[in-house]
Amino acid sequence: MIGTSLCKWVISYFAVAIVWLLLAEVLVVAGFGFPNHDIGGPDTLVIVHMVSIGWLSTVLCGALFQFVPVLVARPLYAERWTLPALALLTFGLTILLAGFLTLGGHFDGPPRLLPVGASLLIAGFALVVANLGMTLWSARPLPRPARFVAAGLACICVTAAFGGMFSLVLSGAAIGAQWPDLLVSGVPIHAIAGLGGWLTFTAMGVSYRLLAMFMLAPDGDARLGRLAWLAGVAALAVGAVGGVLALWRATGVNLALLLAGAAALLSLIAYGRDVLGLYRARKRRALELNTRMSLVALASLVAVAILSAAFVATGSLPSHVGALAFLVAFGWLTGLVLANLYKIVPFLTWLETYGPVMGRVPTPRVQDLVDERRTLKWFVLFFAGSWAATLMLLVDAALGFRVAVAVVTLATLGLGEELIRARRLADVAEPLRLPTGAVVPHLLVLRN
Amino acid sequence: MTINDDDLVAQIRQALKVVIDPELGHNIVDLGFVYDVSIDDGAAHITMTATTPGCPAASFLKEGVANSACLVPGVESVDVTMTFEPPWQPWMISPGVKASLGFAEVN
Repeated sequence: MIGTSLCKWVISYFAVAIVWLLLAEVLVVAGFGFPNHDIGGPDTLVIVHMVSIGWLSTVLCGALFQFVPVLVARPLYAERWTLPALALLTFGLTILLAGFLTLGGHFDGPPRLLPVGASLLIAGFALVVANLGMTLWSARPLPRPARFVAAGLACICVTAAFGGMFSLVLSGAAIGAQWPDLLVSGVPIHAIAGLGGWLTFTAMGVSYRLLAMFMLAPDGDARLGRLAWLAGVAALAVGAVGGVLALWRATGVNLALLLAGAAALLSLIAYGRDVLGLYRARKRRALELNTRMSLVALASLVAVAILSAAFVATGSLPSHVGALAFLVAFGWLTGLVLANLYKIVPFLTWLETYGPVMGRVPTPRVQDLVDERRTLKWFVLFFAGSWAATLMLLVDAALGFRVAVAVVTLATLGLGEELIRARRLADVAEPLRLPTGAVVPHLLVLRN
Repeated sequence: MTINDDDLVAQIRQALKVVIDPELGHNIVDLGFVYDVSIDDGAAHITMTATTPGCPAASFLKEGVANSACLVPGVESVDVTMTFEPPWQPWMISPGVKASLGFAEVN
């Protein structure tokens, strides 16, 4: 197959995701949830699910709908499923959050809000997994980056299954009462499968391909790539399968998590070294802002690995879990996603606007749709704010944390405006901006 | 091939420079995407590639090549073949564009 088509609703996924991110950031700045409230409390769960589902999962689903076909050179199995999936994820999350707010006493809602919200989310993720899974299935044997995505899809199934069971326990449903210990022992598996498997493993797979493409680098070291893949799969298998078995036998969860953590560390080290090798072997020395910022995000992942190992060694991991989770969610994942959105949105906008007139008239470059110098300051603020917020959590400075997240929020707003400017072609100089036959794109929907 | 055909091939190659790879930001001729251009009785046959088979820009590039070659006087029809054999490699880029992309001498 030559080329892949544009997925109509990708930009809508990105827009919804950014709105969730901003909402979560504003709530944190207002003092809602951790660290002012219990890390496992309902208020913190509102923030955690806004970030992990509303922001990261939604943006990742949108990106995968466009880039899984690129990875495997096959069309998306069913584009018509993408809008219903977005609606299910958005409504499901809204109802789930209402359930948490009820649990926290902010809202007088029925107890079934949590399982209803979880059911809608499971239905949404099922549509996403089926769509991407069938696309991957049609392209067997899979190239390595696509295998990471396949493993990530398996992990979102595990995460969603645990989430569904938690919703039954928390809502006080009769069936949930049969698993009284599930919340205590199952949360680490839910979090590891979600943050580690679905979000991080998938991001690793996609970024392997994108970084190599953007840097004009040869394929990475096959041995390191295989090690990153095998150790990562081992970590997820031990963490999820071993964890479930340990839960069933009511013993050994900590051992399963420790082994999973060690394998995950090995995977991250191999991945980090492989990406460093790509960076050193790149042909394109003058890197664009998105690639440079992706590498900065990767530095956060390295910091997570080092800090995790240090906290395990000193026995202080339990008191620093919140800081580490923040660094994973913001310094690594959100940083990586924002850096890539800064490339993906102008690229898709360019294809939509100038692709149809190419060859007939001169067209601008993708780089002409953005202003890297102006945008750099937002990325600097974003990463500085994320790292400062992590530091504030490590030293238990709650107010400092909120101030740092306020900086992150400002940076997110700035980056959001840059993406809107790219959609509006606001930075493209005349007379190239709208040559004959080209049409200004819609803000939220791609023409395909 | 007559000398006129050679001129026509040169004109087509020049015309194809209006087509750019949106990501790399340079025209596809200097990037080495155009593998072959030939003329047969006014019919242009162009063999080209893209960076990767699944690239969303690939079909637009192919269409753009057909559009731009059609505009060259003397070209009566255009047939564009997209191939990934051999796969495109960065060494196929012209020296001037390599410099602007910041290629290191050692690489």
